[in-house]
Amino acid sequence: MKPLADWVFRVFQRGFLGGISLLVPAGQRAEWRREWQAELWHVRRACTSVAGISWDAEREVTAFCLGAFQDAFYLRLGSRKKGVRLAQIHGSAWHCLFWLAAVLTASYTVANISAGVSAERHPERYRVKSNLILIQDAHDTSDWAATIPVERYRAWKRLHQQYFDDFAFYRIQQETLSTGGNGGVVRSVGHVSVNLFALLGLQVESGNLGDTAGGAELRLILSHKGWERDFGRNPHLIGSIIRVGEHQVRVVGIAPDGAWRLPGEADAWILEPDTAIARGAAGYVVAHMTPSARSEMWNGRVRITVYDADGSDEDFWGISFAERTQGPWGIYLFTVMLSFLALPALTSVSIADYGFSSHKPSWTRNVIRWAFLSGKIIFLLAITYFLPLDVAYFSSTAYSPGASGVHFIFSFFICLLGFRWVVLDQRQRCPVCLRKVTHPARVGSASRTFLAWNGTELMCTGGHTLLHVPGLPTSWFGAPRWVYLDPSWEFLFTGSSVG
Amino acid sequence: MASETKLSHTAAMILQAIDAGFVYGFGVMEMTGLPSGTVYPALRRLERDELIRSQWERQSIADAEQRPARKYYKLTVAGRATLDASRRRYPLLERLIPTEEAKSL
Repeated sequence: MKPLADWVFRVFQRGFLGGISLLVPAGQRAEWRREWQAELWHVRRACTSVAGISWDAEREVTAFCLGAFQDAFYLRLGSRKKGVRLAQIHGSAWHCLFWLAAVLTASYTVANISAGVSAERHPERYRVKSNLILIQDAHDTSDWAATIPVERYRAWKRLHQQYFDDFAFYRIQQETLSTGGNGGVVRSVGHVSVNLFALLGLQVESGNLGDTAGGAELRLILSHKGWERDFGRNPHLIGSIIRVGEHQVRVVGIAPDGAWRLPGEADAWILEPDTAIARGAAGYVVAHMTPSARSEMWNGRVRITVYDADGSDEDFWGISFAERTQGPWGIYLFTVMLSFLALPALTSVSIADYGFSSHKPSWTRNVIRWAFLSGKIIFLLAITYFLPLDVAYFSSTAYSPGASGVHFIFSFFICLLGFRWVVLDQRQRCPVCLRKVTHPARVGSASRTFLAWNGTELMCTGGHTLLHVPGLPTSWFGAPRWVYLDPSWEFLFTGSSVG
Repeated sequence: MASETKLSHTAAMILQAIDAGFVYGFGVMEMTGLPSGTVYPALRRLERDELIRSQWERQSIADAEQRPARKYYKLTVAGRATLDASRRRYPLLERLIPTEEAKSL
């Protein structure tokens, strides 16, 4: 029993120390293992008996071996503290990518918790059918104003049209909405023709627009916001009858958050037959174009001339909904392209004209350098998508032309300034270790420009390169120039090299 | 390392044990009663701070005695000064681990 058990314990304890030694930095590992194995030999001799196996003794020896873990961990921790200095982290490529990732994470998080951004980022909720336009009086200079009298809408709908195959009408007005026991609240209520939602192709949650069960009451669709705010997300509201103004209406559905992108914000919409719409009221007309009318569209607009029975004519504009329902991608892609085109006006986009003196970096260094540049651009593009949306829709829960404008402006400037930063940052990074050059020093004087050179010299803290930036560009020294430091300079940078 | 360096009681005990002639890790453990997980990292720290220095035993001596060579620890000048300061700070240190000179008195 004794020799076998003793051998098993010895092998286990030596193996344990061998395994733990992997934690020790490679340079110290051999000596560390030698010391612990020697100490183990002495501990075993002191604790175990020659006569027979003692479990207490083996437990004591194993406890001694367990202490090796703390020792190895201490050495590992010490090597890390020694190896990664703040100066090395600061200005490094990882440091730069870390901050970009942090900004992206923050903007993505805000985008996910903001109701406005969330609604904007899901175009399937508000995308309307194609070939729809909003008809507006050409003499009215304000965009998206209610300009069409209901009588004209009825006349258009009654007559056979060559360019349009369907029309719908709506108008918005303030009315009292009864919310149960607490009486009513004044809300914006849209009076819409029965076919409007079907014409737009908007899906309504938890409801059937064709549902006429319950009698002759008008049907009402609530906005998601109104359902939350005024009815506390009551799941049993569908099918119940409430009072809106002078009407008893049956709630038939809830419109998804952000679904309504047409002019005029509303908290609820009453579906009314055309004959029930009040006379004299001006509103909006939505029309569906035939293919022949579609070909007349230019820049999202079409001019419409209406000839009346008395021979007079009247001009209207047909305005496409595309701008309102394209979602953030349209603005995003447009601003990225615009800022890319505008970038040369701010800075030279060339990175390759920075000559590397007589030294040529290896192809792997070049690949890493380009991969780093690509990484920065990818992060920037992702930030440009989320951050302007956060700014534009943080306080707004639905689309508005103002928010869309803010989105466009922020997207453009963030993208433009971001591209500029990416290029300038890349130019100031050591081609060997990608760390930012630092410690600028003035070299020479302007009077010696033609005999030597004057300008600013920046240094890579890893000791790989110097960047010479001419103070006065000349024909022989126009662009900044990298100067490679050979290994004879290493003694100056001991302890800071990462290359 | 300045002589005013203040050590913890544990580190002072280890320094005192080395001064008392317990010059390898297991010996320090036996003398102080501290576990290996405390003694060996403390030895590394003391060596890093140049209060002790280590030296491997000659292989020929170990071979003659048919055992592996051991790593011995010895106080440096700075370590001795620090130990003197620690003795003033912890008066019972010498009584816990008496040195050879103290024993002979």
